[in-house]
Amino acid sequence: MRRRDFIKLLGVASSASVATSCGLTPENSQKLIPYLVPPDREIIPGKGMFLSTTCTECPVHCGISVQVRDKVIQNRHRQVPIKIEGLPGHPINDGRLCIRGQAALHRLYHAERFKQPMRREGDGQFAPISWEEAYQVILQHMAKVKSDQRKIGYLSGRTTGALAELMDSFCTHVGVEKLPEYEPLFPASVVNASFALFGRKELPEYRIDRCDFLLSVGADLLETFGNPVQNSRRIAAQRKKGTFRWVHLEPHVSLTGLNATQRLTPKPDSEWAVIAYLLQRVHQSGRAKKTLPGSVLQEVPQLSIEKVEELTGIPKEKLQHLEESFFASDRPLTIAGGVSTASQNGAFLAALTGLLQWATGQVGATVDYTTAVDYSSVGSAAAMESWLKELDQGRIGVLFISRCNPVGTAPQSWQLHHRLKKADLVVGLADLPDETTALCDIILPVSHSLESWGEVSPRKDVASVLQPVLDPIYETRTEGDILLDLYRLELGAAETVDYREYVQKRWRKASSSRDLPTLMQQGYYSVSAEKRPVRLRETRAANLLRSARPQEKTEAAIVYFPPSLRFYDGRSRRLPLLQEIPDPLSSVSYGRWIAVSVATAKRLGIRDRDELRLGIGEWETQIAARIQPGLPEGVFVVYRDQLDAYPVHHLNPAGEPLSFLSGARLEKTGARVALPILSGSTSDHERGIIAHFKEEKESKHEPQVQMYEPHEHKVYRWAMAIDLEACTGCSACVAACYQENNIPLVGKEEHVRGREMAWIRIEPYYTGEEAEFLPMMCQQCDNAPCEPVCPVYATYHNPEGLNAQIYNRCVGTRYCSNNCPYKARRFNWFDHEWPEPLSWGLNPDVSLRNRGVMEKCTFCVHRIRSAKDAARDEDRLVLDGEVVPACAQTCPADAIVFGNLLDPESRVAKLARSGRAYHVLEELNTQPAVTYLSPHKKEGE
Amino acid sequence: MAVKRWIVPSIFFVFLSGLALVLLGQNLLWKRVYRQPEQPIAFSHEIHVGKLNLKCTTCHTTVEKSIRAGVPAVATCMSCHKAVAADRPQVQKLREFWEKKEPIPWEKIHNLPPHVYFSHKRHIQAGIDCATCHGEVRVMPEIRQVRSLKMGWCVDCHRAKAAPLDCYTCHK
Repeated sequence: MRRRDFIKLLGVASSASVATSCGLTPENSQKLIPYLVPPDREIIPGKGMFLSTTCTECPVHCGISVQVRDKVIQNRHRQVPIKIEGLPGHPINDGRLCIRGQAALHRLYHAERFKQPMRREGDGQFAPISWEEAYQVILQHMAKVKSDQRKIGYLSGRTTGALAELMDSFCTHVGVEKLPEYEPLFPASVVNASFALFGRKELPEYRIDRCDFLLSVGADLLETFGNPVQNSRRIAAQRKKGTFRWVHLEPHVSLTGLNATQRLTPKPDSEWAVIAYLLQRVHQSGRAKKTLPGSVLQEVPQLSIEKVEELTGIPKEKLQHLEESFFASDRPLTIAGGVSTASQNGAFLAALTGLLQWATGQVGATVDYTTAVDYSSVGSAAAMESWLKELDQGRIGVLFISRCNPVGTAPQSWQLHHRLKKADLVVGLADLPDETTALCDIILPVSHSLESWGEVSPRKDVASVLQPVLDPIYETRTEGDILLDLYRLELGAAETVDYREYVQKRWRKASSSRDLPTLMQQGYYSVSAEKRPVRLRETRAANLLRSARPQEKTEAAIVYFPPSLRFYDGRSRRLPLLQEIPDPLSSVSYGRWIAVSVATAKRLGIRDRDELRLGIGEWETQIAARIQPGLPEGVFVVYRDQLDAYPVHHLNPAGEPLSFLSGARLEKTGARVALPILSGSTSDHERGIIAHFKEEKESKHEPQVQMYEPHEHKVYRWAMAIDLEACTGCSACVAACYQENNIPLVGKEEHVRGREMAWIRIEPYYTGEEAEFLPMMCQQCDNAPCEPVCPVYATYHNPEGLNAQIYNRCVGTRYCSNNCPYKARRFNWFDHEWPEPLSWGLNPDVSLRNRGVMEKCTFCVHRIRSAKDAARDEDRLVLDGEVVPACAQTCPADAIVFGNLLDPESRVAKLARSGRAYHVLEELNTQPAVTYLSPHKKEGE
Repeated sequence: MAVKRWIVPSIFFVFLSGLALVLLGQNLLWKRVYRQPEQPIAFSHEIHVGKLNLKCTTCHTTVEKSIRAGVPAVATCMSCHKAVAADRPQVQKLREFWEKKEPIPWEKIHNLPPHVYFSHKRHIQAGIDCATCHGEVRVMPEIRQVRSLKMGWCVDCHRAKAAPLDCYTCHK
């Protein structure tokens, strides 16, 4: 051999071996951080610990079970929460959780949380100070104010349970006036009517689970009214029985209305006429279970059906049909609330509804006061007038504002921008910056509820427990501890009980039978509530009707400002996840928009995304248009959380701010707004994507020619069944999926380009004025179009029926997404940042995908893996119901069912065999593993 | 033409020395690629496992019930070393960490990429001995990686032992 050839051979041989050994480099290495001392409770690495506490994203206070994992953060072991679920068995939500609850970790880990107390300097900027300094400033001002004989006021959001008791005690001993609690969405008209009629300043529990006919007027049961999670659950359960009917009256369009069996659209502020008519007919036909006394009846307007038709615009036939259904039902339930009671005639409507509930025997049956929510400490907007006046006169020297945002949400008549300056010191207790904290002098950062001890009272018979699931991330304190600190400093008290001891003492007293750890794991305990029967207060009822007489007027160009599903009254608007998930009705994610009716859009030549100038009186704003099917002409909707301040001045006779303004001026500015509308079309173009249920089974498509070998499934074949009758479009599943699977938030610009990232999305499909909501995710097709086209075999069909996507193999051709008819695949166009502390909330069971990788729903394969692991430990197979993907676990309506199709007794197998089962785009022969159950057609307008 | 006498032996010689060079090169390259970083304390498995005969699970307590084997808490080390060998320099380093309440920042030697799910529990329960993947730890004064831990190596054993070969078994 020649020397040269030999050296070449040597080179090839050694370079080959070098090439193969280039792989693991020391850059891969991480640190292994031990504990200093082993923890008391044994932590199994890789397994989550579940702690029970209570959600505080809204005042409903659902019980939650928080999954905590051990992570090494900044070279120390820390237990941090990664996922929140509903707490099974909790009386408020029984294991389910809404979209806002699922997003709560985004508040805990929010980058803009207040990290320490702040003080406003002369130039208006905030500077950090220590807790001691903050307290000093507060106490100095309090002392001065007291010596001047002026007042100290404490304004807070709804407060119940342990904190309410402590606050009362604090205010009494320290000489602070506890102002009426402020809840922007307080249904003052309804509670006022309840008080006048029945002597209860409470919102009763609406037992939808006990009724066979539900008539709701304005109340957004599925969004913010009452207990939305439980309402969804009960409505879905009742629907399964087949004899349930739900008629919803609303002057605009809401998610609730679109889900009702029948939706009627009365003219704005005319809803009272329908209830008055029903009440009158109940008595005329002798059907009253409890006849109303004459003094009350005479205040009820006598209306002919023609008059009702004239006032409301609802056709006579529909009114008659409503009357018949109502009378035919055994256990009716009538609920009024939302935008219909937050109107000029809303107080009258609420009173009439209460009387109808009384007369038809609903009170005690389907309207339950034994499990009511106590609102005695919450003030209506009118109740706030007295202290607002005092504030204006400078008689309130120090004002505490805690857990509420009056500047951003209160009616304009409060004039807080002007009046807050009159106080010497405004102290804000808050976690995130908002319009109110911007005007405070001192900000005391409050710990998140997941970092706190506490106890709240979601219903008068339930006390729900809070325990911290992690140590406070920043230098924050709980409100209870702040009150105790101030109390101690002001009175020089020696005893140093902290809020944890305060709360635990309550628990020990309340539940002597159970030990603390058991109580804390259960998450709640029952409180004996008074059960005296409800009686009708004749005189007060009659007076209320007299004082709240309705006005028959025709309003024109009305803009409603309802609360939204995603942001409640605006408090959750700062959570980035909730902005990323689109609003189910309009599929708009980021941005602001005004919902415009189809007729108005045609008349004014408005298209989606046209910028409009909206003016009412002196108030003006520029906002993008989005066409909303189902809205009557002359009615517009702007969610109230999209505005920096609530533009309404006027209060109704019950002291509730109106939910709308009339006389809007609308014109196109000519500009276009880059509004991210995520759904391609609001109609399914008769492709049968929503296949309505018909009595006879539909003829199936002709059996297709199979081009590929059918897959063999041995032990498990994972499948899912989604009941469209139950699905309300609430998008809780979407939020749960984001949290469970570490899905990055891509932001507005990417959404405008149509590059959404959600693995599951809610698609609204409108036919005329009715809508259905379809949860769409990777269908895990047996004949997946995406599998054969991957050039590197990164996606393949696994033996258990899943379409597997292997991230590190993917080279980013995007052919698979191109081929997917359901458009369920998501591409990572960028590397994503997970800034601390948001990165603490990542699920370690799911890989993070970097740029250039395709991802999609995996049926929560990590949950499948861990269920199989647990089953293997016990030498058995996985049982039905053991594997619950994140979406199925949180769905308040229990619309998603998951399981093994090979097990004929599993829930999913039975549903897949049912007469209502169908697949989306069945004709393409993709043979999806996701079966949809067709909904019954709604009874349209 | 006739082959000269020295041709065949010199081919052999060159070939064998070339082979030796390649093998030496690979060895050095392996040692370079898999070089272990310096540990904060020169903990010797040879002493603790080889000489003192401690079982693996004495310190790596969660290996039979969890995906990770874990490293012992500093308190576990101190349970012996508050008295034993207190004069040795490495033990003194240990005590310093304990006094400063700082957990020891060990350098992780056996690293898998973040997209891999590996369960120690499952493998221990399948009867696989620690030494199969971690080597003869009892003779290592300094722990080092002796297997490639690459996917091909894992798949080979999975094939041989009829363990699951589905991608989702390990790719999370």
